[in-house]
Amino acid sequence: MKVLAAGVVPLLLVLHWKHGAGSPLPITPVNATCAIRHPCHNNLMNQIRSQLAQLNGSANALFILYYTAQGEPFPNNLDKLCGPNVTDFPPFHANGTEKAKLVELYRIVVYLGTSLGNITRDQKILNPSALSLHSKLNATADILRGLLSNVLCRLCSKYHVGHVDVTYGPDTSGKDVFQKKKLGCQLLGKYKQIIAVLAQAF
Amino acid sequence: MALFAIFQTTFFLTLLSLRTYQSEVLAERLPLTPVSLKVSTNSTRQSLHLQWTVHNLPYHQELKMVFQIQISRIETSNVIWVGNYSTTVKWNQVLHWSWESELPLECATHFVRIKSVVDDAKFPEPNFWSNWSSWEEVSVQDSTGQDILFVFPKDKLVEEGTNVTICYVSRNIQNNVSCYLEGKQIHGEQLDPHVTAFNLNSVPFIRNKGTNIYCEASQGNVSEGMKGIVLFVSKVLEEPKDFSCETEDFKTLHCTWDPGTDTALGWSKQPSQSYTLFESFSGEKKLCTHKNWCNWQITQDSQETYNFTLTAENYLRKRSVNILFNLTHRVYLMNPFSVNFENVNATNAIMTWKVHSMRNNFTYLCQIELHGEGKMMQYNVSIKVNGEYFLSELEPATEYMARVRCADASHFWKWSEWSGQNFTTLEAAPSEAPDVWRIVNLEPGNHTVTLFWKPLSKLHANGKILFYNVVVENLDKPSRSELHSIPAPANSTKLILDRCSYQICVTANNSVGASPASVIVISADPENKEVEEERIAGTEGGFSLSWKPQPGDVIGYVVDWCDHTQDVLGDFQWKNVGPNTTSTVISTDAFRPGVRYDFRIYGLSTKRIACLLEKKTGYSQELAPSDNPHVLVDTLTSHSFTLSWKDYSTESQPGFIQGYHVYLKSKARQCHPRFEKAVLSDGSECCKYKIDNPEEKALIVDNLKPESFYEFFITPFTSAGEGPSATFTKVTTPDEHSSMLIHILLPMVFCVLLIMVMCYLKSQWIKETCYPDIPDPYKSSILSLIKFKENPHLIIMNVSDCIPDAIEVVSKPEGTKIQFLGTRKSLTETELTKPNYLYLLPTEKNHSGPGPCICFENLTYNQAASDSGSCGHVPVSPKAPSMLGLMTSPENVLKALKNYINSLGEIPAGETSLNYVSQLASPMFGDKDSLPTNPVEPPHCSEYKMQMAVSLRLALPPPTENSSLSSITLLDPGEHYC
Repeated sequence: MKVLAAGVVPLLLVLHWKHGAGSPLPITPVNATCAIRHPCHNNLMNQIRSQLAQLNGSANALFILYYTAQGEPFPNNLDKLCGPNVTDFPPFHANGTEKAKLVELYRIVVYLGTSLGNITRDQKILNPSALSLHSKLNATADILRGLLSNVLCRLCSKYHVGHVDVTYGPDTSGKDVFQKKKLGCQLLGKYKQIIAVLAQAF
Repeated sequence: MALFAIFQTTFFLTLLSLRTYQSEVLAERLPLTPVSLKVSTNSTRQSLHLQWTVHNLPYHQELKMVFQIQISRIETSNVIWVGNYSTTVKWNQVLHWSWESELPLECATHFVRIKSVVDDAKFPEPNFWSNWSSWEEVSVQDSTGQDILFVFPKDKLVEEGTNVTICYVSRNIQNNVSCYLEGKQIHGEQLDPHVTAFNLNSVPFIRNKGTNIYCEASQGNVSEGMKGIVLFVSKVLEEPKDFSCETEDFKTLHCTWDPGTDTALGWSKQPSQSYTLFESFSGEKKLCTHKNWCNWQITQDSQETYNFTLTAENYLRKRSVNILFNLTHRVYLMNPFSVNFENVNATNAIMTWKVHSMRNNFTYLCQIELHGEGKMMQYNVSIKVNGEYFLSELEPATEYMARVRCADASHFWKWSEWSGQNFTTLEAAPSEAPDVWRIVNLEPGNHTVTLFWKPLSKLHANGKILFYNVVVENLDKPSRSELHSIPAPANSTKLILDRCSYQICVTANNSVGASPASVIVISADPENKEVEEERIAGTEGGFSLSWKPQPGDVIGYVVDWCDHTQDVLGDFQWKNVGPNTTSTVISTDAFRPGVRYDFRIYGLSTKRIACLLEKKTGYSQELAPSDNPHVLVDTLTSHSFTLSWKDYSTESQPGFIQGYHVYLKSKARQCHPRFEKAVLSDGSECCKYKIDNPEEKALIVDNLKPESFYEFFITPFTSAGEGPSATFTKVTTPDEHSSMLIHILLPMVFCVLLIMVMCYLKSQWIKETCYPDIPDPYKSSILSLIKFKENPHLIIMNVSDCIPDAIEVVSKPEGTKIQFLGTRKSLTETELTKPNYLYLLPTEKNHSGPGPCICFENLTYNQAASDSGSCGHVPVSPKAPSMLGLMTSPENVLKALKNYINSLGEIPAGETSLNYVSQLASPMFGDKDSLPTNPVEPPHCSEYKMQMAVSLRLALPPPTENSSLSSITLLDPGEHYC
């Protein structure tokens, strides 16, 4: 049943990605066909590589903007508060086949997308004046959405992968403010780390 | 007695019944113990909420009771708070009570118990406390999960300046935990091995995003984890200030206030404070949407009095202010409108305006402000609806700004906003004569008068000055006067007047009329008498001038001045002084340090004729000279040299030059006489000589050593100091003997030059004398050689010594001559019977023959002819070797030729020409010395030949056909032969 739950709907979800996408997904049929609404582009892999490179280029700046906006002790305790110790983060194996790598990339992008949505929501409330941070978060989320769409197209068109089991980032809505800051910082630290690996692997 | 017994019985019965009732109540009160005590928590508010009931209360009865509550922390014996709670208890009522803990409830377990006592007047003393209820334990379990460290309270909202207690719970008591507030470590009190509390006194507001407080657990130097909280500190809500309400139309009340600090916090912890308006008479309330103003609709015309309460509120506090007022006393009028100006002329105008009507019979107080010429006038006027005010005493041609505002005259509350407009008064004729002065330059036959005038002030111009009229009237010839109109804004003009007295009137004119005239008189007599210039010292405030009064009546004095170095027209100034004043201070910002100003003081006679009294010159502040003189070194000898700086001008300097300092450096430590030791700015020592006369611009530095190195530097000085530092000029004195050598060498060079000039002038003579083109055999060196060899055969023989054996003159017949001339045949065509030889002899008798052609050869140079066909050779017989010597001198040859020609008596002189031509040819072989040794051998051609050009009209001896040995030249125009 768990496997069934992760079907085409996650894919549809990410196509209409919004903040707070970490909510439970509706159950989808097992034999959902691999259907996409738009034809895939020819040079999908090039676009995926380009998007990964773009994300990799801006990840560090986003990380710095984030922890600076949180105030002390974050900038001076990055290893303790912003270490990439994210539980349940999807794994990635750079030496796998393209299909396997794409599937893992898909999981990672879904995870990052939901987490980034939570962070953006939190920061807009907590730091309403940090416009630069908001802008960077939004831009990153936009690129992630495009990347997910391209990965989906590639998986569907070449490997006929109809569904992928995914996990989502932790829901921070019930956490206290300090914990939200810390989780966001850890996630962005992890994002900075993994996006470099992904950009290298593709 | 019976009555007493009845009374006594009744008393006892009453007493007995009372005691019985009392016993019943007490028996019922004893069970009034709090029961069913339940304790709940509010973690956010850090409060314990107690609820309980009181059993055994009589039905429908109310009792005032006192409950004593005890709260312990961590363990029951650790009572941290005891208090009473008094209330009226009803039957079956659930009682509630809250207690707020300063310590986060998550940090420690709390215990609560309660007891009660009846405190009601219906039950007199004594009262007894009930027993304590059992302890209720309260524990907030939030420290779950795998984490080893927890910090509380989370996201707490407090007000700035309050005291806050935070705590951490550490699972591992081995860990060392440090806590920090914004990076600064804080120290707390350990409540138990796992819990430590921190009391933060008077927490400050740092930012609206909250204050990070965090704790780090570590073992040794290894961090085990970091946890934190965000404390949201709000600013203290301020009471609204300047709260007031007013109406401008009796329909709406506009209330305003100063809200003070915004207490909004991030993370939606607290929004901005809200404002509520409450009117107590009407009981209406309105939530204001703006933070500093609110409109209140006036619905009841009859309500004149209002009592408003403005309440500001946030999550932590409420603040209120109150105002009570009568509506008619809070009328704030709209600003007046239709402001206009009527009948505007040069000095007055009428201002009109209107006011928005409020109610009938309303009187308005209006205030008018008139701004113009840097001044402000204020007038108040009371009006009904239409306002009007007469503005007088205005300045002509002046722009004014007039504005008006109004208020309720009955109950003044506040002025309305201003309404205003600009207007300009009309022009009037200038009211004052222009201030005129002049410079008179005397030139041959006339005066050049340069008139200056100052522009009229705006106050006196009364409009825009268009032109100045200058009327020049000849006082000696009254009929003659001239008018010059000079357009503004010119402030000077130049007049050339003859040597008569003139009166000059200057008026300024605008579009309305002319100003009064300013009159000055130029006297026919020279006025610029010689006055000695006096030096004065200025100050930063200017120049203080005083002068001797002019004898006779004066109408005033004029001091004029200009920059000493600049053009007079560009910087000319003057000042008028009254007749009784003989001193003044000239102060102006235009005076610059280091600039020399020349002042002239004139007295004005009653006839308005100016007389120069004194001249003064000075600096407002003297400066040190800006440059040093260019020094020339003259008369450099081994013991002295002269320094001169004649070109240095002392006049155009930034101060009065008082003299010069001469600095001299030498290897010798001792200074020369007249010099004194001085230390330069760079610390080096030198000798210094002071020249006190600025016109002394030369100095002889003597007593120097020959072949020594000296350095000098000359700088002028003023009262402000000496000139700029510059490099020293180096001088080396020459050797002592060099001058002597010069004394000898110079005449010698002169003599040599003289000789060379003489030689050049007499070069022709010398050439002819010493090395002529044709060498004189007698002067030839060969003679000495001959003499040295003592060769008897090689002596030069004089002609007179030569006695030839025979002279053979070959003469050509006369007919041949004629034929030759007539036919012009070639010489080769002429038949010659035998060769002709001519020996030149000193006697005439042997020259009977007509032979006109002489051919000879100078054998001094034994050289071959280049062309044997072009020249002949005189065959020299071995018998006549002495002829060699005869031919060696061209003079002799010429002489011989002349003699020979003279001997031709029958040949007319005009028909005979004789040319002597020297030819030089390259030697072909042999040397000169060998020539005489072989005279017999005829050379091919001679280097040196004597040629005689003979006119064609002369009869020529016909040469023989093979006369290659003789050289005969016939010169004919157009044809040459050789």
